[in-house]
Amino acid sequence: MRAGSLFRGFSERLDRSRWLGPLLTSPALLLLAIFLAYPLFLGVWLGFTNAKIGWPGRWIGLENYRLLFSDPVFRITAFNTVLYTGVTVVFKLTLGLTLALLLNQRFPGYRLARSLMLLPWIVPTVLSAIAWWWILDPQFSFINWSLERLGLIDQGINFLGDEWLARASLIVANIWRGIPFFAIGFLAGLQAIPKELLEAARVDGASPWQTFWHVTWPLLLPLTTILTTFSTIWTFTDFQLVWVITRGGPANATHLFVTLAYQRAIPGGALGEGAAIAAFTLPLLLLLSWAALRALRRQL
Amino acid sequence: MKGKKVDRRTFIKLGASLAGASAANRFIGARAQGSGQYEPRFPIEKGARLRLLRWSGFVKSDEEYWNANTRRFTKLTGVPVDIEYITWEDVRPKAALAANLGAGPDIVMGWYDDPHLYPQRLLDVSDLAEYLGNKYGGWYDVARIYGYSDVVGHWIAIPVGAPVAALVYRQSWAQEAGFDTFPTDLDGLLKLSQALKKNGHPTGFALGHAVGDGNVWVHWLLWSFGGKQVEADGKTIAINRQETWNALEYAKELYQTMVSGVASWLDSNNNRAFLSGAISLTGNGISIYYAAKRDFPEIAKDLNHANFPVGPVGRPTEFHLFTEAFIFKYTRYPNAAKEYLRFMLEKDQAAPWVEAMNGYVTPALKAYRDLPVWTRDPKVTPYRDGIARMLYNGYAGPPGPKAAAALSEFVVLDMFADACVRGMSPKAAAKRAEDRLRRIYS
Amino acid sequence: MRRSRWFTLYIPVILFLVFLLFPFYWMVLTSIKPNNELVSTTANPFWVRHPTFSHILYLLRETSYPRWFWNTMAVAAGATVVSVVASYLAAFAIARLRFRGSEGLSLGIYLAYLVPPAILFIPLADILLKLRMFDRLWSLVLVYTTFLIPFCTWLLIGYLKNIPVELEEAARIDGASRLQVMTQIILPLSVPGIISATIFAFTLSWNEYLYALVFMSSPENKTVPVGLTTELIRGDLYQWGPLMAGALLGTLPVVAIYFFFVEYYVSGLAGALKE
Repeated sequence: MRAGSLFRGFSERLDRSRWLGPLLTSPALLLLAIFLAYPLFLGVWLGFTNAKIGWPGRWIGLENYRLLFSDPVFRITAFNTVLYTGVTVVFKLTLGLTLALLLNQRFPGYRLARSLMLLPWIVPTVLSAIAWWWILDPQFSFINWSLERLGLIDQGINFLGDEWLARASLIVANIWRGIPFFAIGFLAGLQAIPKELLEAARVDGASPWQTFWHVTWPLLLPLTTILTTFSTIWTFTDFQLVWVITRGGPANATHLFVTLAYQRAIPGGALGEGAAIAAFTLPLLLLLSWAALRALRRQL
Repeated sequence: MKGKKVDRRTFIKLGASLAGASAANRFIGARAQGSGQYEPRFPIEKGARLRLLRWSGFVKSDEEYWNANTRRFTKLTGVPVDIEYITWEDVRPKAALAANLGAGPDIVMGWYDDPHLYPQRLLDVSDLAEYLGNKYGGWYDVARIYGYSDVVGHWIAIPVGAPVAALVYRQSWAQEAGFDTFPTDLDGLLKLSQALKKNGHPTGFALGHAVGDGNVWVHWLLWSFGGKQVEADGKTIAINRQETWNALEYAKELYQTMVSGVASWLDSNNNRAFLSGAISLTGNGISIYYAAKRDFPEIAKDLNHANFPVGPVGRPTEFHLFTEAFIFKYTRYPNAAKEYLRFMLEKDQAAPWVEAMNGYVTPALKAYRDLPVWTRDPKVTPYRDGIARMLYNGYAGPPGPKAAAALSEFVVLDMFADACVRGMSPKAAAKRAEDRLRRIYS
Repeated sequence: MRRSRWFTLYIPVILFLVFLLFPFYWMVLTSIKPNNELVSTTANPFWVRHPTFSHILYLLRETSYPRWFWNTMAVAAGATVVSVVASYLAAFAIARLRFRGSEGLSLGIYLAYLVPPAILFIPLADILLKLRMFDRLWSLVLVYTTFLIPFCTWLLIGYLKNIPVELEEAARIDGASRLQVMTQIILPLSVPGIISATIFAFTLSWNEYLYALVFMSSPENKTVPVGLTTELIRGDLYQWGPLMAGALLGTLPVVAIYFFFVEYYVSGLAGALKE
């Protein structure tokens, strides 16, 4: 009898938001607390020390940050990261959405197309980066080969040797890798839009463009915000693509925060400084997230 | 077709001699075992078990022989050894992790300054280093610098060897350019390069962030003019001087003879370019020759190697990768670890192993100069000599965290690229490098 | 009508696919090209004259590729299941329940995402060591959840908020408990969202390189990206053929799985919403 009432009490409580909510979030929180909170704390703390590999280091306050601000390589890196992130995210978003709208229609082979377009996203980046490395190779690039055969150029384009071309090349490679992420995300979002709404708009005589702009797009906004923020974070903290293709060269023109942090901390041994560079991404991303969250709250 | 035949014959010969060497080993091993006595030099701890982290071999036969030697060690001593092979550039993060956590592999085969980043975490291996040095003709100078720490005052690593780089060139094209023998001075090298370029065979030296090939040739050139990043005190930045400017002037002229795109080259680019015939001259390890013998017999026949020429300072100033083995203090079996390294570097084991690597790694012990691998094919000989001609990372300052940082940030390499590719004046390029070094060495 | 469909649909789709797939064309070619043809500046790079299967055979016979493949699959599948389940529960709570601290929680989960792994593997390693989780494949499952959960949770919050509240309210009036609402009403409706979260999570774990490299040390615990780079890149000699064959062989099964998923989630929500 008592057990029964206990159980009933338990299941009643379970039905209340203020009990059920924390209970349901606890697995996720637990995992994050163990494997993330502490490393994050330690990482931020490292940024305020002069720790080296094998040496614990001591507290030096903002010294690492002061040195970084006076370091031209760091300044180039900051510029690169913002440029790289800004440009690629805009392209990935627009191209990804376009692709999703295209693939949202039915046509012969649409299933195959939907799966194939995921390929750039699936192949391990370490290996697809190697493929890009060949495509952009000064001697073996098949872009150069084709252009030369067509008589458009007489000397190969130095994709990765020139500072701006190298930035552009990595940006293209990153866009290539990122389009499927947006496309698949939006595709699912488009599926969730009730057909009745679109039908109603069409009956009211709206053009496809008007339908998109007044019906589809507003409904996609929350999803857009989420996809964009996460993609921004990923791009902002990108590592593998740059590390494989240029190592941050030429002249540090393609270094991003994380590649520089890694280079200084691990091959260079300066853990504290590397952690400071990595931690530097936090306030920027926080700012961005704050803006995104505000936007989201308005939309939902 | 003919080329292929020759190739196969040399291959068989090589295989036969290797088989001979390992048969001899087996005999020695069997004898030691037969008498039931294996006498370790270091009393092995009871229940010892070792973990080794090392770079994956540049050739597969490296790993095969290393593993076979290890198995024999296990058989003789009863000490199992787990070996983890990873890509050479990934050793540093994993070793760094071990140093920081105080846990991980007992022994690491690392690169360059690795042991000097955390000398206080490493086992004193002076006894082993002295034993091996005495027995095998002594260590090369550079080996002592990488193995001995002035900070703690004893040996912290057992030098293993240098994957030497040399100039790789096409003989027929050099002859066509009027050079029957390879020049041994910088002037000659420049003239040869210019003549090659004129004949439509440009040269190619990596100026991208190539950890191996890029760093190797720019340091050689800088030092050959008497330039250096820092004085022996490890504090005074010495890069922005006349010697450096001269080296940069020379590099600018050499750059005129290079194929387009070197500014983005990483370690493997010159291999591909050379094998495709796009370039006639480059600086590289023996890997080009190795790949040529496998896939491009015609090129293998035509290519040859030469040591980097001597510059105005009048002595060789080469720079090569260097690998050494070190034992972390946290190991529970320090004697077993030392015994393992001793065993692996004794001639019975080391000789067939070095042979199997086909000249990839030149041992740090002088006695291994005499192994037949270095002279059986005269094209391999420069790779033997490179180690006696080399300086060390961070020259003229001491090896250690600062030298490691400067190398990992490609300060010298970027300086050369600034001058050659980006058209900076030598003084401006050197000034920029000086500023970066100042930050690192401050 | 037909012609406009060419301009508004087929040609753009083809252009997209060409851009997205052209590196794969190179990868396929490389995996069947003999070395001397690959490194040639004169040969047509778009074609292969003497195709060879030796690279693929080398990969399958001389390396532990099948082992790496199953390792990767197991880790990715495990990490995906754990993350998607944990994320779904969390997302449901945050999106559908009102409780104190839900705002803070969602923010916390979000912030967790801002941490770049390239530098934080050292502190993380410290924890794995203390928990005796080094060199255990299943520990990767738990480690990967750190970058999967934040994303999956937010993605699912986005989907869940779009599901009309009326459905839930009707069920509540009929006497269903909140858990019943979650499993019987909301869950079937959120299948498309769950499938996309699954695809994202699986792909991200499938791709991961750094943690798999530094936290595993036995050769039998290597994943595909780590195994391929450690076995097939030897100094400055890359074994291009086997490398690319490995990248492709590993990818094909994943694509095949997604092929069926994609169809499923197309029909999923569209039908459910009509109720």
